[in-house]
Amino acid sequence: MSIPVLQVQGLDVELRSERGVARILQDVTFTIPRGGTVGIVGESGCGKSTLLRAVLGILPKGAETPRGAILFDGQDILTDHAASARGRIGFVPQDPYLSLNPVFRAGDQILEIMRRHAPGSRADHKRKIVELFRAVQLPDPEGALRKYPHQFSGGQRQRLLIAAALACDPALVVADEPTTALDVTTQREILALLRRLVAERGLSLLFVTHDFGVLASVCQEVTVLYAGRVAESGPVRAVLDTPRHPYTRMLLACHPDRAADLAGIPGTVPAATAQPSGCRFHPRCPLAQPSCAAAAPPMQALGEGRAVACPWYETPLPETALA
Amino acid sequence: MPEILGASGLSVELGARRGLLRHRPGVRAVDGVELSVREGETFGIVGESGCGKTTLARALLGLQRESGGEIRLEGRSVSGLAPREARRVREAVQYVHQDPGAALDPWWRVGATLAEGLSIHGIPGRAEQQARIAETLAAVGLDPALAERYPHELSGGQQRRVGLARILLLRPKVVILDEPTAGLDLSVQAAVLRLLRDLRARFGLTYIFISHDLSVVRRVCDRVAVMYLGRVVEQGPAETLFAAPGHPYTRALLAAAPRLDGTQTGPALPGDPPSLRAVPSGCRFHPRCGLATPDCAARDPALEDAAPGHRIACLRWRDAA
Ligand SMILES: Nc1ncnc2c1ncn2[C@@H]1O[C@H](COP(=O)(O)OP(=O)(O)O)[C@@H](O)[C@H]1O
Ligand SMILES: Nc1ncnc2c1ncn2[C@@H]1O[C@H](COP(=O)(O)OP(=O)(O)O)[C@@H](O)[C@H]1O
Ligand SMILES: [Mg+2]
Ligand SMILES: [Mg+2]
Repeated sequence: MSIPVLQVQGLDVELRSERGVARILQDVTFTIPRGGTVGIVGESGCGKSTLLRAVLGILPKGAETPRGAILFDGQDILTDHAASARGRIGFVPQDPYLSLNPVFRAGDQILEIMRRHAPGSRADHKRKIVELFRAVQLPDPEGALRKYPHQFSGGQRQRLLIAAALACDPALVVADEPTTALDVTTQREILALLRRLVAERGLSLLFVTHDFGVLASVCQEVTVLYAGRVAESGPVRAVLDTPRHPYTRMLLACHPDRAADLAGIPGTVPAATAQPSGCRFHPRCPLAQPSCAAAAPPMQALGEGRAVACPWYETPLPETALA
Repeated sequence: MPEILGASGLSVELGARRGLLRHRPGVRAVDGVELSVREGETFGIVGESGCGKTTLARALLGLQRESGGEIRLEGRSVSGLAPREARRVREAVQYVHQDPGAALDPWWRVGATLAEGLSIHGIPGRAEQQARIAETLAAVGLDPALAERYPHELSGGQQRRVGLARILLLRPKVVILDEPTAGLDLSVQAAVLRLLRDLRARFGLTYIFISHDLSVVRRVCDRVAVMYLGRVVEQGPAETLFAAPGHPYTRALLAAAPRLDGTQTGPALPGDPPSLRAVPSGCRFHPRCGLATPDCAARDPALEDAAPGHRIACLRWRDAA
C-alpha cells in the first residue's frame, strides 16, 4: 500500500483576534489516498478555506501554532512547510476575476511561480506552459502567453489558473470553490476539465464547495464540516443518498431538488469566537440531548468508509424539522 | 389570471454615443423581448450572465429608457415616457438588488434608511413611519429592535431581509428579484425562499424572479422565460420547460446544472456567448447549436406556440425532441 498523498490528523487551528480566541478548526481528521478526490462541504464560516490555508502553509498571522499533523507524502508539513511541499501542492482559487494580477501577462505570472519552485530553464518553463495551456484547452496556447488577464473570458481565466496550479507538477491540487463565480455552462466545462486532468495525470484533489451537485460530479469522498469540526465523512454517493449526521440531513433537506418544503435550519453557524460547548451543532439540532452540550461526540466508524460524529445518527428527525 | 406587467418588441440600446464628432452605435442588450407576467405569479427569467436580464429589469422599472417596443402595466401602456415620469407611473414595480446589503448606507441605522425611503415616497409622520417599519420588519421575520442596528452588524440573511422590508414598505404590486439567492448558503436560501413565498401570499405580490440557479427556479417559479443574447428564446410553464425543454439552448442550460445524483445529461455547450457587438446572423444561437442548418444562419426565428402557453424561437425545435 502506498502512503496517502495527504493525511490531516487531529488538526486544531486557533486565531487570536480582538474579539477573543477564534477556534476555527478542531480535531479535523481525513485522508486523501493517491489519486483520490475528496470534497469538503459545509456552510460559509465552517472553516473550509482555513483548512485549505493550513494545507497550503499560508495560515494568517496571529494563528497560534496549530496542533495535530498534516502529512504530505508522509512528511509533516504543518510545523515545517518544507520547500518540497511548495509547488507540489497546486492551488486553484475561487474567483478568477480577482486572482490574477491585471498588469502582468498571463505567461509571466506562471513563469514567476515556476522560477521559484520548478527546475529547468526559462525556455523549458515556457514550453511547459504552452503544453499546459493546450491541456486545459485554452484557445491559441502560444498567443495566450502574451495576453493580459482581461483579454480572457471568465471561463478561460479559470483554465489559466488551473494551468498555473499544474505548473510545478503537483501531486495534489487544492481548489477553493473554483466555479462559484461562473455560469452553469462554463462551470460544467471546468468541472469536466478537472475530472479529466485528475484521471489523466493521476492527480489527487482536495475540493472545497458548498454545492452538493458540484460535489457529486467531481469527488469520490466527502468530509462535511460544521463550525470547524467534522460532522461526517464517507463516499459521496453514500453520504448524499443516506446522510447520517443531523446537520447533513437538514442541510440536504434544504436543497431545492430534495426539499419536501424548503425546510431551513433554525439559527446560524456560530462565530468562531463563540463556539458552543460539546457538539457544536447542538443549539440547532432537533435531536439534541443534555449530553450533547456536555462533550463533543467522538467520530464513530459506520463501516464502508463512513464515519459520523453523532450518537443519534439512526434516530429519525422529527417531521417538523424536515417540514 | 390577467396580465399585470407585459412587454412587446421591447428593445434597449446601451452605450450609444451621439456626439457631434464621434458617433458610436450602441449594443442592443435587450432585443425584441415579448413578455407577459400574470398577476400573482412568480415569473422566472434565466440565462447566462450578460444575456440582458438586469437590463430588461431596468427597462421594466423605467430606470432605463427603452429604444423600441411597448411596456404595459395593469393594462395601460407606460412606455415612451421621460425617465422621471416613467419611474413615477411604475411605482407599483420595485426592484430588489442582488446584494441588498450593498444598497444599505453603512453609516445609517437600518431604521433611518427605511424611514428615508418612506419620506421619499411621501409618507411623512414619524409615528406612522415607525409603526410601518416595525410591522414590516416583523413581516420579513426580523426583530423590530433591529432598526437600531447598523448594516455591518447584520448577517447576510438579515441584510437580505432588510432589503426586502425596504421594498415592501413602498407597497409594491410587482417585485423584481434580481438573483435573490446568489451567494447564500443552502439553509439561508431555504429560509429566504420560504419567506418570499409567504410574503407573496400575504401582500398579494407578483414576482419577476431573475436567477441563474435552475434548481431554485424550478422550485419556485410558475412560468419561466429563457434569455439568450438579449432575446427570449423560450417561455412556458416551469413544469413543461423543465420536463420537456424545446429550445436547444434551454436543453444545454438545463443539462449543465449540477445534479445531486451526479449524472450528466445531454450535450455540453461549448464556448462563451458571443459579444453583443457581433451578434450572429439568423438565429443568434446557431454557432453554438448542434442542430443548426444553413437555414438557421439565414433566418431569425420568432417565438411560436409549441403548445398552449409554451413558446419557442427555433426553426428546428420539432426535430430536437
Ligand atoms: N484571520 C481571521 N481572524 C479571525 N477569524 C477568522 C479569520 N479567518 C477566518 N476566521 C473565522 O473562521 C471561521 C471560518 O472561516 P473560513 O475558513 O473562511 O470558512 P469558510 O471557508 O468555510 O467559509 C469564520 O468564523 C471566520 O470568521
Ligand atoms: N453601458 C453599457 N454599454 C454597453 N454595454 C453594456 C452596458 N451595460 C451593460 N452592457 C452589456 O449589456 C449586456 C447585458 O448586461 P446585463 O443586463 O447586466 O446582463 P445580465 O443581468 O443577464 O448578466 C452585457 O453584455 C453587458 O456587457
Ligand atoms: Mg471559504
Ligand atoms: Mg444581472
